[in-house]
Amino acid sequence: MKAQMRKGVLELCVLSLLEHAEAYPSDIIKQLKESKLIVVEGTLYPLLNRLKNSSLLSYHWIESKAGPPRKYYFITDEGKGVLTEMRETWKELNHAVESTTKQKQKLKQK
Amino acid sequence: MKKVENINLGTIKFVIDTDAYDALENYLDTIESHFRKSEGCEEIMEDIEIRMAELFHESLFSANSIISMKHVNEVIAIMGTPEDFGATTRTRVNGSDTKSRKKYQAKRLFRDQDETVVAGVCSGLAAYFGVSDPVIVRMIFIIATIVTGVPLIIYAILWMIIPVARNANDRLAMRGEPINVDSISKQVEEELYNLKDTLEEVGKSFGGKKKG
Repeated sequence: MKAQMRKGVLELCVLSLLEHAEAYPSDIIKQLKESKLIVVEGTLYPLLNRLKNSSLLSYHWIESKAGPPRKYYFITDEGKGVLTEMRETWKELNHAVESTTKQKQKLKQK
Repeated sequence: MKKVENINLGTIKFVIDTDAYDALENYLDTIESHFRKSEGCEEIMEDIEIRMAELFHESLFSANSIISMKHVNEVIAIMGTPEDFGATTRTRVNGSDTKSRKKYQAKRLFRDQDETVVAGVCSGLAAYFGVSDPVIVRMIFIIATIVTGVPLIIYAILWMIIPVARNANDRLAMRGEPINVDSISKQVEEELYNLKDTLEEVGKSFGGKKKG
């Protein structure tokens, strides 16, 4: 359950990270690690692949001076649309969860 | 001193210690079998290999350095194992599934009449202990008989007490293979094939007699 919730939120976060600038996996990983959303990097690659296969993301190769060529991911128009929808859903869910937990607290106080 | 291997990981050439190579290969196999069911497995593996190559590249002192076990363990810790990917429930279900499917039935000792020289005792023992070639068991018997003479008596006793594998079920139990539709049909096929050979031989000998 916890893992599944995290998975859903992760998609939203990856899409919003790529909303304004393209990035390659290591950059994305760094930011996600900072916010403690992922612990191991292996989690991200299947997710990026899934988002790419549902054409929400796309990538192009960029040569790197040090090390192997890098895949830079960027968001597609379709991805932007989905991101807006996801944000709406997130807001609704957030609101729903907060109001429910607040109600519970009120009941307890009474 | 250690032996090293040359590898191509994510299009970059690395020199790696043999033990580290084994660990790395094992790790890649494990995650590949984890992702096998998901769409785009090849691409995911490629991405992971590229990222690992990058991590190795960063952690190595110079381009000529050799990847050691320590490096491999560090990189695996960063990438994570399938359990870390949060798919534990799925793998657990799959795990128990394959376990039940592979449930081998208890082995039983039979004399193998398909592979006999005297009475099939040695070939039966070979099948029971998983020795690939009954000749090995026969050699041990013969050598031990020449040296001590005792195995001859043992052979006679085994001949009397071990039953012959009479049907497909017995033969599967002899090898400890699971009894299911697949294995039985395989066994039946084998038997039909043997029967065909025997019939052909009989036919030949009859033909020979007629001519003679």
